[in-house]
Amino acid sequence: MHVFGFAKRLIATTAIAAAMLAGAMPAEAQNKVINVATIGEPPTLDPVGVTADLVSIITQHIFETLYTFDGSWKLVPLLASAQPTISADGLIYTIPLRQGVLFHNGKPMTTADVVASLDRWTKVSPRGKQAGAVIAGIAAKGDAVEITLKERFAPLLPLIAMSNGAAAIVPADTIDGANPLKQFIGTGPYKLIEHKPDQFIRVGKFDGYKSPEGPASGYGGHREAKIDEIRFVPVPNASTRVEGILAGQYQFADSLPADMATRFSGQDAVKGIMVRPFGFPLMIMNSKTGVAANQTLRQAVLAALSPSDMLLAGFGNRAFFETEGSIYPKGTAFYDAASVQGYGAADDKKAAELLKKSGYKGEPIRIMTSMQYDFLYKMSLVAQANLEAAGFKVDLQVLDWATLVQRRADDKAWDAFFTFHTFVPEPSLITFMNPAYPGWWDTADKKAALQAFNTEADPAARARKFAEIQKLFYTEVPTIKVGEFYNLAAQSKKLTGYQPTPWPFFWNVDLAN
Amino acid sequence: MLTYLARRIAGMFVVMFLVATVVFVIARVVPGDPAAVMMGAAATADDIAALRARLGLDQPLPLQYVMFLRDVLSGNLGDSIFLNRPVLQALGERAELTFFLTLMSVAIAVAIGVPIGIVSAVKRGTATDQGVIGLAMLAASLPSFWVGLTLIQYLAVELRWFPVAGYGPPDATLGERLRHLVLPAIALGLPNSALILRFTRTAMLDVLHEDYVRTARAKGLGQWVVVLKHALRNAMIPILTVVGLTAAILIAGAIVTETVFGLPGVGNLIVSAVLRRDYPVIQGALLIVSGIYVLINLAVDLLYAVADPRVRY
Repeated sequence: MHVFGFAKRLIATTAIAAAMLAGAMPAEAQNKVINVATIGEPPTLDPVGVTADLVSIITQHIFETLYTFDGSWKLVPLLASAQPTISADGLIYTIPLRQGVLFHNGKPMTTADVVASLDRWTKVSPRGKQAGAVIAGIAAKGDAVEITLKERFAPLLPLIAMSNGAAAIVPADTIDGANPLKQFIGTGPYKLIEHKPDQFIRVGKFDGYKSPEGPASGYGGHREAKIDEIRFVPVPNASTRVEGILAGQYQFADSLPADMATRFSGQDAVKGIMVRPFGFPLMIMNSKTGVAANQTLRQAVLAALSPSDMLLAGFGNRAFFETEGSIYPKGTAFYDAASVQGYGAADDKKAAELLKKSGYKGEPIRIMTSMQYDFLYKMSLVAQANLEAAGFKVDLQVLDWATLVQRRADDKAWDAFFTFHTFVPEPSLITFMNPAYPGWWDTADKKAALQAFNTEADPAARARKFAEIQKLFYTEVPTIKVGEFYNLAAQSKKLTGYQPTPWPFFWNVDLAN
Repeated sequence: MLTYLARRIAGMFVVMFLVATVVFVIARVVPGDPAAVMMGAAATADDIAALRARLGLDQPLPLQYVMFLRDVLSGNLGDSIFLNRPVLQALGERAELTFFLTLMSVAIAVAIGVPIGIVSAVKRGTATDQGVIGLAMLAASLPSFWVGLTLIQYLAVELRWFPVAGYGPPDATLGERLRHLVLPAIALGLPNSALILRFTRTAMLDVLHEDYVRTARAKGLGQWVVVLKHALRNAMIPILTVVGLTAAILIAGAIVTETVFGLPGVGNLIVSAVLRRDYPVIQGALLIVSGIYVLINLAVDLLYAVADPRVRY
């Protein structure tokens, strides 16, 4: 009897649970809402202090900068009303501001807000600090902001326009010195509704949004929030992002493994998207300390490597990579094939000769890599085989990413490490151009070439001067560019108006019924 | 009983102190820098050093340890470096999910393991018994992440019976959130049901040959009344032990499953914290999970007395 009583209770409990689950089907949404599966939880929602791409992808909907990039990666005004007026000596930039722009708290954007935001950017942002080193002063001048430089500095506007380490304009009263923002109030087409870490970040249409003029192009021109709410959902497992969009749970999924591209062929509701340009894998060499500080040895490494084999191992699908030695890909202003010398040689004999010439005594080359980025790990295995075939002794150190990032700051701990770089429209934004970046490329010739490039304002002359830097890049070999790779993303076919970019955005995007 | 309880609770404090120390040391000994992870690729050594100073990570380790112990004793587990909120709040936000996931997984593991274990014991040596043992071996060998991805592929993507991942939209009802946990609970519960099955079978085989079972049969009681009422109750102690252990294992197993299913639970929090070197979260979460583990063990010991009146403390 006791047993049967227990069984009855069990059946009743199961029935209640089943009823709860049956009633759990989601209600019909009235607003247009999309779920965007991202690679994880962003470290912060303050876009100024960090350069993580994930932070940019989310926060560019909330915060805006004075300038941005159009579809051809040209600078166009965003919160500025026009291109700046630059004094004849190139030292004073006067940036006119758009009028009537509102923050998400309903208050109008003023020159005081812009000055305070730019001032904070020069103190907090890795990009802003680069500019801050040559900025003598930032001040309001009528309805404009005036930036005075100590010396000519052509990358100023591209640095101001970047969405990571961003010169985001926020209300002056939300700024607390160099401390991270506590209120996330911007001028963007979407405002922050709710952030539940590891669950979702909800941004909703900002009714008071004032769009820039002109047709939409890239990140520039007309911006309109057609979708009422965007939910950025952290889904760290790439397979789960793929299955989630196939099942209709997400309308967009970012950063998917290239070998999963075939999963989207022939699908009725979902399509795969290739994002190009997207990024380039790098083998950074330690130019400061240890065996790799020897330039001839670095040239031997370049001669030994087979980028095509490394890329094939890393990405599998040939549609998603290209063996390209130019730091900038074809079709961009800084592309230059002539200055690419020695890329893709895969010549063991030449490498062995250079190695002998360098005085190499068989010391292990310590190469750091990480399985957290599977393609980097696979590439490093091929590189190890290439180098050993040429006579190098390789100590491949497989670390988790956090350890690699920490260890690379110590110039005595490594000789080379694998990383990758997302496409950036301006060369001075590339990490290894900064002499303080691990690798420490800081020769006298490079300094002079970079100085000449940074102080040149004419676009055609800048392209020529960048070719000179690239020539040095292949002579001094501070870093080896492995090639170009493209990103696979996927979207629901109901999503209309989406333009593939390295940092996906969803204004001007609509959701069909 | 009260003396026993007091002794066990005092022991718990010693265990928790040791856990706190080990967790602190391990978190700091492992290389990796939260400031470097947070700043991103373009950060220079100076940027990272400035952030380390702001986060208090530049203080000597012994000082950090003393401050950590002082905070723990006052019930403060510190603030997360990345989440910009107290660790206790971050854990609290994820506790519901992990609690329900563990509960559902244990329920699934028990619902599969106990009845089949009983049937297997009663039908010992038959084809049914052999088949059940074979299936149990197979289930125990399946990694939960593989079970998870397979369930997603067929039950979520193909048949669309369940959601692929997450814990429901912001306005989700409790029922809807529980629906998101069905597949993860199966993925977690299935491999562990095999363990419960095998323990149940062994425990039942031990008691089915006892004199009181023979006596019950001699009285003319039906087969299943003998098995469920007389034998099962006496086999409960080892079964309870393994169910308690399973619950503790499931909390740890949830780390992988929560990652596969994109669930914002305690397991996911720990994985993210380890990857980002969010020391306060690693320390706080492991302390709490260890505390729960110790409490489950205590609860199981106390339940022995309920299951078997001969047990006295």
